Amino acid sequence: MGMLELIDISKIYGSVNALRNIGLTVDQGEWLAIMGPSGSGKTTLMNIVGCMDKPSQGAVILDGVNISKESAKNLTAIRRDKIGLIFQQFHLISYLTALENVMAAQYYHSMPDEGEALEALARVGLKDRAKHFPSQLSGGEQQRVCIARALINYPMLILADEPTGNLDEANEGIVLEILRKLHQDGSTIIVVTHDPEVAEQAQRTVVLEHGRIARIIRNTSPGPGAGPSL
Amino acid sequence: MFWRMVKGALFRQKGKMAMIAFTVALGASLSTAMLNVMLDVGDKVNQELKAYGANINVMPKGASLLDDLYGVREGGGVSDKYLKESELGGIKTIFWAFNIVDFAPYLETRVRVNALEDEIKLAGTWFSHHLELPTGESLDTGMVNMKNWWDVSGQWLTDQDTDGAMVGSLLAGRGGIQTGDSIRITSGSQSVSLEVKGIFHAGSDEDEQIFVPLPVVQELTDREGFVSRVEVSALTTPDNELSRRAAQNPKSLSIKEWETWYCTAYVSAICYQIDEVVTDSVSKPIRQVAESEGAILEKTQLLMLLITVLCLVGSALGISNLVTASVMERSKEIGLLKAVGANNAPVSWLILTEILCTGITGGVAGYFAGLGFAQIIGHSVFGSAVDIKPMVIPIVAVLVFAVTLAGSVPSIRYILSLRPAEVLHGR
Amino acid sequence: MKKQSFYVKMTVNSLIRRRSRMFVALLAVAIGATVLSGLITIYYDIPRQMGQEFRSYGANLILVSSGGESTLSAAGVESAKPYFPPASVVGIAPYRYEAVKINEQPFMAAGTDLEEAKKTSPYWLVNGRWPAGAGEALIGQEVADTIRLLPGSTFALTGTDADGAGFSRDFSVSGVLQTGGTEEAFIFMSLADLGEMAGDSGRIDIVECSVSASEASLNQIAAEITSHVPDITPRLVKRVTQSEGTVLAKLQSLVYLVTVVVLLLTMICVATTMMAVVAERRKEIGLKKALGAANSAIVREFLGEGLILGGLGGLLGVALGFVFAQTVSMNVFNRPITFQPFLIPATLAASVAVTGLACLLPVRNAANVDPAIVLRGE
Repeated sequence: MGMLELIDISKIYGSVNALRNIGLTVDQGEWLAIMGPSGSGKTTLMNIVGCMDKPSQGAVILDGVNISKESAKNLTAIRRDKIGLIFQQFHLISYLTALENVMAAQYYHSMPDEGEALEALARVGLKDRAKHFPSQLSGGEQQRVCIARALINYPMLILADEPTGNLDEANEGIVLEILRKLHQDGSTIIVVTHDPEVAEQAQRTVVLEHGRIARIIRNTSPGPGAGPSL
Repeated sequence: MFWRMVKGALFRQKGKMAMIAFTVALGASLSTAMLNVMLDVGDKVNQELKAYGANINVMPKGASLLDDLYGVREGGGVSDKYLKESELGGIKTIFWAFNIVDFAPYLETRVRVNALEDEIKLAGTWFSHHLELPTGESLDTGMVNMKNWWDVSGQWLTDQDTDGAMVGSLLAGRGGIQTGDSIRITSGSQSVSLEVKGIFHAGSDEDEQIFVPLPVVQELTDREGFVSRVEVSALTTPDNELSRRAAQNPKSLSIKEWETWYCTAYVSAICYQIDEVVTDSVSKPIRQVAESEGAILEKTQLLMLLITVLCLVGSALGISNLVTASVMERSKEIGLLKAVGANNAPVSWLILTEILCTGITGGVAGYFAGLGFAQIIGHSVFGSAVDIKPMVIPIVAVLVFAVTLAGSVPSIRYILSLRPAEVLHGR
Repeated sequence: MKKQSFYVKMTVNSLIRRRSRMFVALLAVAIGATVLSGLITIYYDIPRQMGQEFRSYGANLILVSSGGESTLSAAGVESAKPYFPPASVVGIAPYRYEAVKINEQPFMAAGTDLEEAKKTSPYWLVNGRWPAGAGEALIGQEVADTIRLLPGSTFALTGTDADGAGFSRDFSVSGVLQTGGTEEAFIFMSLADLGEMAGDSGRIDIVECSVSASEASLNQIAAEITSHVPDITPRLVKRVTQSEGTVLAKLQSLVYLVTVVVLLLTMICVATTMMAVVAERRKEIGLKKALGAANSAIVREFLGEGLILGGLGGLLGVALGFVFAQTVSMNVFNRPITFQPFLIPATLAASVAVTGLACLLPVRNAANVDPAIVLRGE
């Protein structure tokens, strides 16, 4: 049984069928990419998996629990405990330093711990930028803070929405390298992207078209050192 | 395209624009209400101060005031001079007729009451007299209105009660007179029997007097058609340098000054005008009342003025604050417009037009709401409507205009000074 | 690090590092609090301040003799004085009247404490000046007209004293008095001068008191004098006391109503500004929710900011409001205003409550929004 199972889910907004009968299983430690053109349902799928939305039909089973019928309040708690989110626009809190931004995630989860937060920043190579404000950081640095924030609570699943969409090539490389390392350490990662180069890094790429899974590609040559841990 | 964008902002951002309009409306209504009340508070307080009684005393020329204070009546000056009752209506036809609130004539004489030893002052007067004026208007005037602070046990007389009397409380106490009693009044050879309809407590030397309808005294003293003095209660403007000079000698003024004086409701001007219509009369302001009224009126108006200023400043700051906040909020949109190549000027005009449109809508709504507020204040405090002054409209309009500009211009300038890239990437 | 201290740090940072925006909000709260504390201070001080102004109507309480004799003694008057609260006494002027003659024409001379008379009758208009010492007199306009006297001229006053002996004394006219009332027929001089001439010094006919107090407290003073000093009957000058009460009540209710209306409007102003400030941060709220913050945590954070803003704004308002009230009082009444200490907690509580509420409503709305929509919506 996979860590995340999507069983025949559909999402209908009014008369628009954003997702139709999606079935997908993600295993513990897997790196999965979701690709597709605009309007293919990537974001909807991401929101459902990230506990920010519920499917109209079907079941989402995360870690053995069916979350498709949970209340908004419970979804918030599940998201807090099990999921780390990385956004295309970073979404850092402007009036908090890099360190404090990471600590905010700890604060909502359990207990802020400066040492642990510093360690997380060290993992993304930003230990010396801890006291800087988001406005003093480059885009790539901001995204690394965002990643540090996503992993601070040891989530079961890291969900990245176009993590490299706002970055230049050099920074894209750095971010992908960090994700790769996380994967090596055993994290389960789902990346939503429209960039084939990013998708190639994953073990599996799910291609969505018009709300349906068009095809699933098994990447034979994942990045150096990567491989299924099972 | 410009108007299309303005329209788009106004109608599609309904929530935000409604909030600005609402706040502007609040500010405008507050200003309208306060300005209206402030401009009218003089008249209103003046009305209230009428409770202090008459502020003008009209006497026949050459008559003496000697007979009044604390029952002192020795000495000369008691004369046989009178005013004509038939001319009194004229007081309501002078230039400032509208400011004459009430007046009451008196004909006084000394009489003996029952078996009491000393002479008692008997005053004939109008209680609530109906007058038909030559101008076709009519009014009711007299003591009932002018002495509204009297404590009356029993009831006020009417002008038809020619066999009734009202007795002062001290006299009543001394003579053991009670409501319903019959008293015998003797003046020289004449005597008349009256029923006591009411006993009053005035807290002054009037408590030693008896009041009856005017014809009773006129008959008793054989002076039909005459009165010895008139008390007039008039709304007046506080004295200033000009009126003081005029009070000394109206002839010392230049023609222009004289006209200003004559056409202002100074107590001296009203006195002068009363003298013009009542033959052989001398009107004197009762300084105790006239002066104090002026002082209190001035203080009240100043007080209201300062409170109004506070309210105006407060609402101005409140509005411009909100406008600033909402312009700041739109930094991204402004950055975007600049990024797609708009110059500063059109962007500023766009935002200004939107906010001014909103402000004007709010201002108009607020003006009418403010009129409502003013009436609520007028009715609940003074029990009468507050006059609506047209001059409030331009003041409020200028205020709304200035305040929205003051709120939006600095923030727009601030945002324009930022580089579009910074704004779009959200600092 | 403790959870609470991180909460405090986050809240304080949010305020300090977003200075320009928070300044706007703080200004709004401070304006509201200023209006509140300023107007309420004025409201409470109006009876006192305006009461002083009303004293220009002159005496509101007179003391007369209660016995068969119609005169009072100076000693009797002294024994009544302690029953007046010293702070509210404007003036207590004793009067003594004597019939006198000038050029064989009868007139009334009034002896009084001129300094006190000046205080009890501020409406007297004197052409010339008030008598400064012995041998000077203030004559009524009517007297001046009858015997054609001008300030500076002298006249001889004749009469008979208490023992029946005649007297004659020269006085100089220091000023001519206009009042429009009976006073214009009198000749005013100091009590000492009149006592010297007419003998029987210490005799007083009537005492005029001008006391800055409400009708109720005047009645109380009168009752005390009646019971403790049996020779003296105090009487309220009803026309003055009652009218003063009515007019003051109206004025106070006017300011009260104005305060309520203004308060309501400024509160709404504060609320809309706070709403605008919160609305700006919808994205931040969405992010915090995405990070797993419960609605209650978000509400708590904004409430914390609101309370700090409210407290600071309230403090500023207390200070500025007092300055405002003081300015008004000095300008209108030329007197300092009394500070109402209870206004500090009241203003603070009101501004904290209004700011908190104004934050709460939009934050609760924003917290209920789906984080996905906020985060996506560029």
